[in-house]
Amino acid sequence: MDLAPSISTQSLTRRFGELVAVDGVNLRVAPGQFFGFLGPNGAGKSTTIKMLTGLLAPSSGQIEIMGLDLNTHPVEVKRQIGVVPEGMALFGRLTGAEFLSFAGRMYGLDRETAAKRATELLDFMQLADQPKKLVTDYSHGMQKKLAMAAAVIHGPKILFLDEPFEGVDAIAAGTLKAMLQRMIARGATIFLTSHVLEIVERLCSHVAIIHQGRLVAQGSLEELRAGVEAQTPAGSDDGAQPSGEKLTLEEIFLRIVGGGRPAEQELSWLG
Amino acid sequence: MKSDGVHSQLTAIADLRWRMFLNGLRTRRGKMELASRVIVASVLAIGGVGAFALAIGMSWFFVSDGRPEFLAIPMWSVFLFWQFFPVMASAFTNNPDSSELLRFPLTYRAYFLVRLAYGYFDPASALGSVGLLGVLIGVSVARPSLFPWTLLVLLTFAVFNLVLMQMIFAWIERWLAQRRTREIFGVLFILFMLSFQFIGPIAGRLSKGPHPELRRDLQIAVRVQALLPPGFATDAIAQIPRGHLLAAFTSLLFLAMLTLFVGLLLHIRIRAQFRGENLNETAARPKVKQTQPMQLGWRLPGFSQSVAAVFEKEMRYLGRSGPMLLTLIMPIFMLLIFRFGAMNALRHSPSFARTPDMAFPGAAAYSLLVLTNLVYNSFGGDGGGMQFFYASPIDFRHILLGKNLTHAGVLLFNLAFAWIAVTYLYGAPHFAVTVATLAGLLFAAPLNFAAGNLLSLYSPKKRDFSTFGRQNVSQTTVLVSFGMQIVIVGLGAAIFAVAHYYNDLWIAALLFLILAAISIPIYVVILRRLDKVAVERRESLLAELCRA
Repeated sequence: MDLAPSISTQSLTRRFGELVAVDGVNLRVAPGQFFGFLGPNGAGKSTTIKMLTGLLAPSSGQIEIMGLDLNTHPVEVKRQIGVVPEGMALFGRLTGAEFLSFAGRMYGLDRETAAKRATELLDFMQLADQPKKLVTDYSHGMQKKLAMAAAVIHGPKILFLDEPFEGVDAIAAGTLKAMLQRMIARGATIFLTSHVLEIVERLCSHVAIIHQGRLVAQGSLEELRAGVEAQTPAGSDDGAQPSGEKLTLEEIFLRIVGGGRPAEQELSWLG
Repeated sequence: MKSDGVHSQLTAIADLRWRMFLNGLRTRRGKMELASRVIVASVLAIGGVGAFALAIGMSWFFVSDGRPEFLAIPMWSVFLFWQFFPVMASAFTNNPDSSELLRFPLTYRAYFLVRLAYGYFDPASALGSVGLLGVLIGVSVARPSLFPWTLLVLLTFAVFNLVLMQMIFAWIERWLAQRRTREIFGVLFILFMLSFQFIGPIAGRLSKGPHPELRRDLQIAVRVQALLPPGFATDAIAQIPRGHLLAAFTSLLFLAMLTLFVGLLLHIRIRAQFRGENLNETAARPKVKQTQPMQLGWRLPGFSQSVAAVFEKEMRYLGRSGPMLLTLIMPIFMLLIFRFGAMNALRHSPSFARTPDMAFPGAAAYSLLVLTNLVYNSFGGDGGGMQFFYASPIDFRHILLGKNLTHAGVLLFNLAFAWIAVTYLYGAPHFAVTVATLAGLLFAAPLNFAAGNLLSLYSPKKRDFSTFGRQNVSQTTVLVSFGMQIVIVGLGAAIFAVAHYYNDLWIAALLFLILAAISIPIYVVILRRLDKVAVERRESLLAELCRA
């Protein structure tokens, strides 16, 4: 049975003056998928996630979240999603508990539920031991965990995360991963961008790759692997794998975006 | 190929500033800022021309009249303006952060020069220099032979002022770098600013009757000022016509030594910055594990959860920001000022003696005025939280309504204090005055809030609590809010004048209620349109408020 997609875009385009940052992207993310959105720097990942979460207006194209048009139903869509944007969207002069309670109420929870969930989340994220500390005094990793907690406090059906593991230590990353996997197990959809391909490979069931604003690959990891292998002629030197070994996501990524080798140009003045 | 070091770096930095200026003009907001800046600069230039002419005239007169020691008047004026204007009018001050340049292999000498050069492109420095040029011209016209020596003295004095201003900024920034000291400093600064309010009453007191002690105090002040930098500069010039070359040289030497001393203090700060000083504050982890108690949010009867949440958040922000908190307790200072004034000057001043009923409306207008900074840049303190507002399923009209409720709460709180102050000093205001004042606020507050909401979206400026003297207010906002206050206060004063003319303050109440019947719908209509404005402005708002 083909489920209606959680996230779908049609010809999604964003221009900044002459630059086409996102060019006719057609995305389709099914419910319950842990979806990794990859691309080199400047490929259009953050621009796309900002458009999907209502932080940036598309120049053209359509975005549907849970079957609702984001342009015509922004409030209904935002009620069903959680977002951890690039800047983490925190209010620095509140304590962690105050911020989470505020976030919960802004997403429509009543006071009691917001306060109860805030306490549970702080405990889960190991942020409960300094209740009087202001968010502005949190370390980067603590702020990431808090931003994640705020994004899930209302129990969103879809979670958008822009580089959630950037600048986070292994312990905090473990906590975040545990929470994300728990959400997936309960049927939520997660859409994340990351530069850390190992994490994406370990967590995500499906991947899309954007390059120079265009979507160049989309599918499950197996589908992407098969596609790349099919395009590589047998016995070719280019990326040949020893028999029996699967291509890693990094290898797939490099072959698709064509960045496998550094530029041949010599910088005579360097070293 | 290596270039010629420091010169090349300084040229590159000048080019960088110029490029940043040009690139800033690419947006409509950047163009509006430039237009506003041109208007502000024109106003300042008019003041500068006046000060220039005055400095020429005064200096010429004092030297021609054989009283060169009176040059202390223009010298002190320039000094006080140069040092206090940037502190008191930081909205007009543009002192960019030079520490970002530290990643480049800048020599310490180049960095120090950049810091000084950045400080020179500032209205206070420019106008101060113009004032000193006026003194030079005045003195030289009166006694042409004094030109070279006066030029040397005034150049030293100009360098002193420039270095002192930079030194003050550098040390204030050091104290502002940490939240706790920042808040203490903010409170002290506002107390200092408030102390200016006492000048009027004190002057009024001193002007009543003979004060023999005043003459003695003045003589002491004259002697003390001679030992301070403007006094040294004056003395260095004034001793020459009398042939006291050694005394003149000694004064200049003292001025130069003071300049070096101030330069040393500046050097200590800049050197620390240059060496990569890190003033980050991360609170130590508590030794005893604390637990997180469950904390219920506030309830705001008659309003939705989200509006109540914004109200609570705004109140908490106010409570945690020393300078902002002071707006809450401003009426206490007003009470003191009124009390102090009433005992000495205000009670006997013609305006209050004739119209004591004006005290409450005046205090109410003042209460509205102290909110300007909050109301006209309501998202300035939210920073990255702005992304949260955009990502959350809440309309901007509700967010701004929550913020406006906070502003209204602060206003009511202030008003209550003002009423108590006036009652204590003059007796309870006449019922008609109280009603007229409340009706006046019913007209003025919604208009202010409506304009403030629009400006908050159209011309936001990130409020950075850790910097000082760098622009944290949009010039457009400064101009519009200033114009708005003039119109509102002018209209209010005119209405009270009409009511006084007919000797019936109920006329004022009625007129204000009629105006309120217009301003409240304007507020509501604008509030309803804010969602659209917020969506249209989201990119520039997020770019301005969420920048690192």
